[in-house]
Amino acid sequence: MNLTGFANNQHDLSLLKDSGITEVIVGMREFSRFGRLEHDSFMKISTDARALGMRVIFEWDILMTEENFDVCAYKIHSYMEHFDVLRVQDPGAFHWAVHRSEKPIHFIAESGNHNLEGLRGWCEAGGKKLERIVLSIELSRDTLKEYCAKLPIPCELLGLGRILLFYSPRSLLLPLDPEKIGVNEEIEALGESEESPHKGFPVLENRHGTFMFHIKEFCLIEYAADLASIGLSWLRIDQRFNAKNFIPEAVKVVNREAMFENFKAEYPQELMRGFYHVNKSDVLFPKLKNFRLQRQGDFIGEVLEAEKASHLAILVKNAKGLKVGDKFQIMHPKGEIFEGEVHSLRNVNLEEVSIVPQGELALIPFINGVWVKSQLFFKQDN
Amino acid sequence: MKATNLPEILAPAGSLEKLKVAVLYGANAVYAGGQKFGLRTAADNFTLDELREGVAFAHARNSQVYVVLNSFLHDKDLAELPDFVRFLEEIKADAVIVSDLGVVRTVRAHSAIPVHVSTQASTLNVEAAKFWKSMGATRIVLGREVSIADAGKIKREAGIEIEMFIHGSMCMAYSGNCVISNFTQGRDSNRGGCAHSCRFEYSLEDLNTKEKKSAFFMSSKDLQGLRLLKDFIDAGIDSLKIEGRMKSHLYAGTMSKVYSEALRFYEEHGDFLSDDLIRWEKELSKVSHRAYTEASLSAPAGADSIFNEREDHNKNEWKMVGTVINANPESGTVIEVRNAFNQGDELEVIPFRGEPIIVRATEIMDLNRKPLSRTKPTTIVRLPFIPGIGASQLVRQKSV
Repeated sequence: MNLTGFANNQHDLSLLKDSGITEVIVGMREFSRFGRLEHDSFMKISTDARALGMRVIFEWDILMTEENFDVCAYKIHSYMEHFDVLRVQDPGAFHWAVHRSEKPIHFIAESGNHNLEGLRGWCEAGGKKLERIVLSIELSRDTLKEYCAKLPIPCELLGLGRILLFYSPRSLLLPLDPEKIGVNEEIEALGESEESPHKGFPVLENRHGTFMFHIKEFCLIEYAADLASIGLSWLRIDQRFNAKNFIPEAVKVVNREAMFENFKAEYPQELMRGFYHVNKSDVLFPKLKNFRLQRQGDFIGEVLEAEKASHLAILVKNAKGLKVGDKFQIMHPKGEIFEGEVHSLRNVNLEEVSIVPQGELALIPFINGVWVKSQLFFKQDN
Repeated sequence: MKATNLPEILAPAGSLEKLKVAVLYGANAVYAGGQKFGLRTAADNFTLDELREGVAFAHARNSQVYVVLNSFLHDKDLAELPDFVRFLEEIKADAVIVSDLGVVRTVRAHSAIPVHVSTQASTLNVEAAKFWKSMGATRIVLGREVSIADAGKIKREAGIEIEMFIHGSMCMAYSGNCVISNFTQGRDSNRGGCAHSCRFEYSLEDLNTKEKKSAFFMSSKDLQGLRLLKDFIDAGIDSLKIEGRMKSHLYAGTMSKVYSEALRFYEEHGDFLSDDLIRWEKELSKVSHRAYTEASLSAPAGADSIFNEREDHNKNEWKMVGTVINANPESGTVIEVRNAFNQGDELEVIPFRGEPIIVRATEIMDLNRKPLSRTKPTTIVRLPFIPGIGASQLVRQKSV
């Protein structure tokens, strides 16, 4: 398994190198969501990394409106000679990288890419320049296995690090404390809500907006061998938010030189596997609405009024209208089925009629147990 | 001066009834979802028969229907998509709205139906628009972070139709870039399971100062761009979208009516210099909403775009009383009652065009013509006939 990681300073770089990692992702403040490097510090890390024989991956992962995009696209030229690979997420940056740059590309497909057809599309659009694709942590093992086998380029996945839940371009913390304007480049807070069972969401605001993370970190390093066996090429270790960089310890777990349980006990954050074993995040959907309120079959109309001992008032929506002699089924909102035949029929003027046309109100005799919102359908043998 | 090349008003259609309301009240186009593939799983949505009927109804009134396929589809969902797309083509749906590249490619492979790229894709710049165009998209629904001026530039430089949101609730996050529900409630927010965690109140502890504050810090005010209509027109924006497939009939009708009336006024006069602007704004305020903001339409959304209040759905001054089913001298004005009202109450019937018709409910009868002093929800009542009132018109009342 190949490993990759981030460096914000020389110490991070040394830890990566000493752990046998051969590439480094660098983030400049202007281009990277969580980058902390300015011009000089980027230049130094880039130079040092190359001197150590490491590939420099330039992270340009912010999402950008036009003005910001133009600034980035202009400024990046002055850094082109100082990195080896361009790592992008905004489709605009991807398109720009494919058509306006000679650099190899790593495309971050972590958001909104949950099908093979789409990932293939990115690979085709990237052509020979696309060197790697970064997959979503919401993919299950089985799905990862299929994608790694079928995609034409190496795939990368987060192995250890924060789970980004929310990314807004708006400043959301500073307005709560306006006197801090201009004091710090970043504001950090912990958020908790009475309406959520989870407490202590890390929230970060910087020049690119506001970010909220899960209370636990994502961790699959214990499955590194398994991931390698299913064809995953790269695991990413993200230690940008921890005071102590656990890269060496994580690499030992990946290389089976240390026990995961010991690592987990020592690690400052709780860890989770997310959807690695299974992603069932759509199983609740059928419970979100009452399918018995939907039209199924040859729909006549909906009961708008159920007046006991008098009538059911139905707004007729079928082009055939409703006429005396029609056989019908009524589906109650709770699922009960009633069957009947139209023996007498009145219109909105309470006149006895033989047919009520589409768009008009029909009154049939009350049927015990039928409620408003029940649906009427023509019986099949009508 | 007659104006030309006005944007379309694109209204939400959470159900077939809401589609009809939106179209009758002036929407040039509506967007609707089938039972699968959309982001509003809890909405009524449309069965295949309802979609067929909805498209026919809209086309008969010169409106268009776009069908949302805007979930981030997983492979198993995608497998079912070709049949549905072929069905949409057969019923002559006017376009599909999609969020991810896999769906774009699948739709393109199985039909010639135009593809609009959803705001879920967070298309924010010229290069991104060029990318989607190269993938076969015919229109981009821009991210709500894009200004009108930038949208004009994107249209000019990418050479593609541009749609922008003009009204409605807003994600605080870049659309498609929020997975709070996925990881905290096991409900995929980008496949219709959003739990609206951004509307919760949070206690926030500053990690430096250890100070604690409570705030609805992730809750956005609602977008309202009525006063920027001229800017949208000048920028050449093709479509102005109203959010809200989960919202009420009254919402769908009011929004469609106000924005289409405003554009008709511009079409006639070439400006919006009218007292009607105040009236239109008042109409917009009569529908349940959070405080309004113009968000990023002119400049990046600032601190004043944060709602920072608890949701209060009962706060609205106006409520929907019901819908007119029938109105003629013989039957009287027959109303399906959604919210109760009393004898003597003042109601407003909203015609498809023009000012509301004030109706005093001096005489109420049930369907059997028995007098009533108070109505009940989910019943049908008769009021005296008043010329100008017709079937399908909405009735509202100022809350006490």
